[in-house]
Amino acid sequence: MNKKNKRNYSSWTQIAKKELKNNKLDKLFSKTPDGIEIKPLYTINDLKKLDHINSYPGMEPYIRGPKATMYPNRPWTIRQYAGFSTAEESNKFYKDNIKSGQTGLSVAFDLATHRGYDSDHPKVLGDVGKAGVAIDTVDDMKILFNGIPLEKMSVSMTMNGAVLPVLANFIVAGEEQGVAQNKLSGTIQNDILKEFMVRNTYIYPPEPSMRIVSDIIEYTSKHMPKFNSISISGYHMQEAGSTTAQELAFTLADGVEYVKCALSKGLKVDEFAPRLSFFFAIGIDFFMEIAKLRGARLLWHKLMKQFKPKDPRSSILRTHCQTSGASLTEQDPYNNVVRTTIEAMASVLGGTQSLHTNSFDEALALPTPFSARIARNTQLILAEETGINKTIDPFGGSFFIEKLTDDLVKEAEKMINEINKMGGMTKAVEKGYPKLKIEEAATLKQARIDNADEVVVGVNKYPPDTKEKVDILNIDNTKVRKEQIAKLSKIRKKRNSKKVLASLEALTNAAKKEPNKTNLLKYTIDAARNRASVGEISDALETVFTRHRAIIRSVSGVYKSAFEGKEGLKDIKIQIKKFVSKFGRRPRMLVVKLGQDGHDRGAKIIATSFADIGFDVDIGPLFQTPDEAAKQALESDVHVIGVSSQAAGHKTLVPELLKSLKKQGNKDILVVCGGVIPPQDYKFLKDKGVAAIYGPGTNIPKAADDIIQLIEKKKNIAA
Amino acid sequence: MIENLYKKILLSDRLALSKAITLIESTKVKDKNKSSKLIKKLYKKSGKSLRIGVSGPPGVGKSTFIESLGIFLTNKKNKVAVLAVDPSSKKSGGSILGDKTRMQELSVKKNAFIRPSPSGGELGGVARRTRESMVLVEAAGYEVILIETVGVGQSETEVAEMVDIFLVLLQPSSGDELQGIKKGIIEIADILVVNKEDEFENEVKQTVSDYKNALSIIKKENNSFTTKVVKCSALNRTGIGDIWKIIQDFKSLGNKKGWIKEKRTKQLEKWMWDDLQKNLFENIRNNKKLVSEFNKLKKKLAKNAISPTEASKKILQHYTKNNKS
Ligand code: B12
Ligand SMILES: Nc1nc2c(ncn2[C@@H]2O[C@H](COP(=O)(O)OP(=O)(O)OP(=O)(O)O)[C@@H](O)[C@H]2O)c(=O)[nH]1
Ligand SMILES: [Mg+2]
Repeated sequence: MNKKNKRNYSSWTQIAKKELKNNKLDKLFSKTPDGIEIKPLYTINDLKKLDHINSYPGMEPYIRGPKATMYPNRPWTIRQYAGFSTAEESNKFYKDNIKSGQTGLSVAFDLATHRGYDSDHPKVLGDVGKAGVAIDTVDDMKILFNGIPLEKMSVSMTMNGAVLPVLANFIVAGEEQGVAQNKLSGTIQNDILKEFMVRNTYIYPPEPSMRIVSDIIEYTSKHMPKFNSISISGYHMQEAGSTTAQELAFTLADGVEYVKCALSKGLKVDEFAPRLSFFFAIGIDFFMEIAKLRGARLLWHKLMKQFKPKDPRSSILRTHCQTSGASLTEQDPYNNVVRTTIEAMASVLGGTQSLHTNSFDEALALPTPFSARIARNTQLILAEETGINKTIDPFGGSFFIEKLTDDLVKEAEKMINEINKMGGMTKAVEKGYPKLKIEEAATLKQARIDNADEVVVGVNKYPPDTKEKVDILNIDNTKVRKEQIAKLSKIRKKRNSKKVLASLEALTNAAKKEPNKTNLLKYTIDAARNRASVGEISDALETVFTRHRAIIRSVSGVYKSAFEGKEGLKDIKIQIKKFVSKFGRRPRMLVVKLGQDGHDRGAKIIATSFADIGFDVDIGPLFQTPDEAAKQALESDVHVIGVSSQAAGHKTLVPELLKSLKKQGNKDILVVCGGVIPPQDYKFLKDKGVAAIYGPGTNIPKAADDIIQLIEKKKNIAA
Repeated sequence: MIENLYKKILLSDRLALSKAITLIESTKVKDKNKSSKLIKKLYKKSGKSLRIGVSGPPGVGKSTFIESLGIFLTNKKNKVAVLAVDPSSKKSGGSILGDKTRMQELSVKKNAFIRPSPSGGELGGVARRTRESMVLVEAAGYEVILIETVGVGQSETEVAEMVDIFLVLLQPSSGDELQGIKKGIIEIADILVVNKEDEFENEVKQTVSDYKNALSIIKKENNSFTTKVVKCSALNRTGIGDIWKIIQDFKSLGNKKGWIKEKRTKQLEKWMWDDLQKNLFENIRNNKKLVSEFNKLKKKLAKNAISPTEASKKILQHYTKNNKS
């Protein structure tokens, strides 16, 4: 070679083509689920049109970080989300964690509390203390933070539905610990829009719910200067199956909606906007996630301009991150340590302010002290061994990351425009638009995993030869429930019931007033001080606001479409044809969710994919009782009920369902279970009469085939 | 088995009723024989309910309306059955029977029975099965039957032709959209219900008056009940009582003047002809003796040697000849 190679893209292309032999570069290009093209090589040319390139952290447009000094000055906060059983148990766990290096608290409440029910409510039989800590009154809250100085420790609380009583309880607990409101630091999630989309722990309809959000923003902006009034969350969207651009777009669109909502309450933008915080999931798509955090800051700054803030902090996006639980597997669970480490790195390289890292037993149960330790240590190692925090925004200027950030932001902006056309996020949510979009993405993802287009090590490729036995945390919810009920009745006896009633009535009256003329949190704090319970306070509001009933909409044809031109569904379709000619109708399945468990991703995916495969599928509403599910199954004469359970209510609720079916005369409807059910519980459920269990990682066409065989077997015995 | 189902249905056994509906929905020949036996036995016990059809465009609020009316009725101790046909399932695949989930509150009532059905692929299948399902639920003692059907295509008229009273729900629309009013709807509807007054107060008023005007121009044939136009909010449950009152008026007037009886007789005749048509067709289509004739005609059709009309005449000739011998 005598002529010097010219250093440009086309020369590279030529050399690359030679390496490829077949001359085709195309196969080195791919598309993300958002349709963003990923190229094999990025160069300086990709930066040409980007005007954010030459910027600094702590300065507009904040792409490189919300603070000028970032981690070199202060590392991110290690904030592990936890809570289970009683306040006593959780308190002990928190203290141990703090001793071992955790720097912030994050409370996970149980589903009864989330949905505004006291532990003695008949609807929460399977839910008390199971997937979080049970809090009924101020006294539980005081126990929860016993010995933890609330003026020093920042506390984040994931609470949205029952946000008024829980925040009130927290404020009163602080008060009685001797810490004034204005000294409390932390965050209340208070993000109701995403509840209607993906998280499902709403209580009231959208309109009164939005009013509560703005009341909390108002109250905290006036009385709690160190407290984040809201945590605008995309995390749950990604966990529910959204694409990255969807997560970004819907979250920031939610943010804009909340700003508008607070403004309409009469607040000035700079009074509250600096206290808005965000929350994102960080999945396994390493570079994309870094780009997302950087892009989020860029885009929020841009979006906030319309409100003309004067305080720069009003348009700075600060965020918490959690690694993605949905990327973790039940199979070969120690792989999860590796996945979580990669995700934690992406969070930090993206510049998060605080972080939760998941435990390797994520797809089995709540973490044990052992698995929690490894999860925490993952962050400690990153922070204290690697040197990752010595330089700000290490990927700044990277051809690839900068371009990817820009591509992603553009994609998200398109979606935000869509939403604006619908009249903003509240309107879009009422129409069910973002929820359906996310379900579509989740269904496509499932299809990609089922036909092995997307690799999950240990699940659809390289399965381990032997199954690892993992010890799990087991919570005896019957015992927790008993203890809570005992505490409740003691308090109910001790308190001044006249005062309680009066304060609850005042709250109800406030709810009846014009939204702008009163603040509901103020009244709730009074009621909490008097020892009104979470359930009683929620009821006092429900009489005015009513309880929201969601409308279930489902996608259809999406799952099937991903199999076009592939063999994946051929066998099962033949099976179904045979079934129909043998039994005179399609196999019919009712997919149910029991109790307060609001994880509906799995159930919706199962419903739509089974229908696509050729089943007739009935879907039960969320929060069904076993009796209701049994009645629905019998009236529709389904062959099989498929219980999808994620929040660990299965050992209580599934036996109830079987009992109810029997009582209502059923002889031939099968019950199968799916979801997060630890292998330790399989025998228990099967002994009770469950025909089969399909855990995380289930291949859907295979499960469908299996269920058809189970139905046939049952029919043959009956005949 | 049939005897058992028969007895239990008369005792209003929920499970037996449900199984019996499965039987009449079955596409298996053996089941069809059984189900016609069952219908034959139960037929005399049927006919005592009030049959209400509820139609309207997708998303107008049919399920919500049925839930509200259903709760109104079960609160008055009426036994209510809801039959919902899912039209989305016409294609080859299975379907999601979502309607049920939209009647959450009604579905848990002891006095309510809700059965969503896939429409299946069968020609005329919806009509046959819905008619027979009505027989079953009536025999089981349900006093009001509500049939939900989406107001698109064939199914709307099919349902209109098997109920006593037909309600069409309408979307509120603003102003000058009068040209959008379909004459067809007015002709088959007994009550036009403009829904969602909670959200679109003005539009609902406008739409009500538009339809009232239109009604005064378009004359309805063959019915002594003048079509009513009313408004409601299925969601907030306002106007439901008024609508029930109109239905009651319709019923008592119809009974007094005899046109409900007349309507039902006509419907029975239609049922008979429909059935004959279907059976005759199946009989010919599946006739083994005609196979060679079919094949011959097929070849001729391919060569354009014969017109389809001529060919069908030939088949009929062969069929009658065959049946004589
Ligand atoms: C996604 C997720 C969420 C999302 C839910 C979004 C949604 N709309 O569904 C969000 C972020 C909102 C969420 C919130 C919570 N979560 Co969560 N979540 C998960 C996570 C990470 C994945 C679940 C999932 O959707 N996977 C993807 C789907 C496709 O898989 P799948 O459900 O397993 O379904 C497959 C199979 O199981 C099977 N299958 C499932 N159902 C059925 C039914 C039939 C008939 C058949 C045949 C097969 C079948 O087939 C499917 C396809 O393969 C799990 C951990 C994990 N990795 O499993 C925790 C997990 C379920 N969550 C947990 C908790 C505690 C919560 C919270 C209660 C926390 C709190 N205290 O606030 C909240 C409350 C949510 C609520 N309202 O109930 C715990 C439950 C603990 C337990 N079981 O002991 C888990 C296990 C995490 C953990 N280890 O701590 N969560
Ligand atoms: N504001 C308002 N919304 C309503 C009312 N009735 C129904 N809706 C809403 O309209 C949407 C559709 O309601 P459904 O009852 O499912 O409508 P449908 O006609 O049965 O729909 P399909 O069966 O899908 O054709 C839901 O979001 C309902 O909440 C009403 O009276 N007022
Ligand atoms: Mg409907």
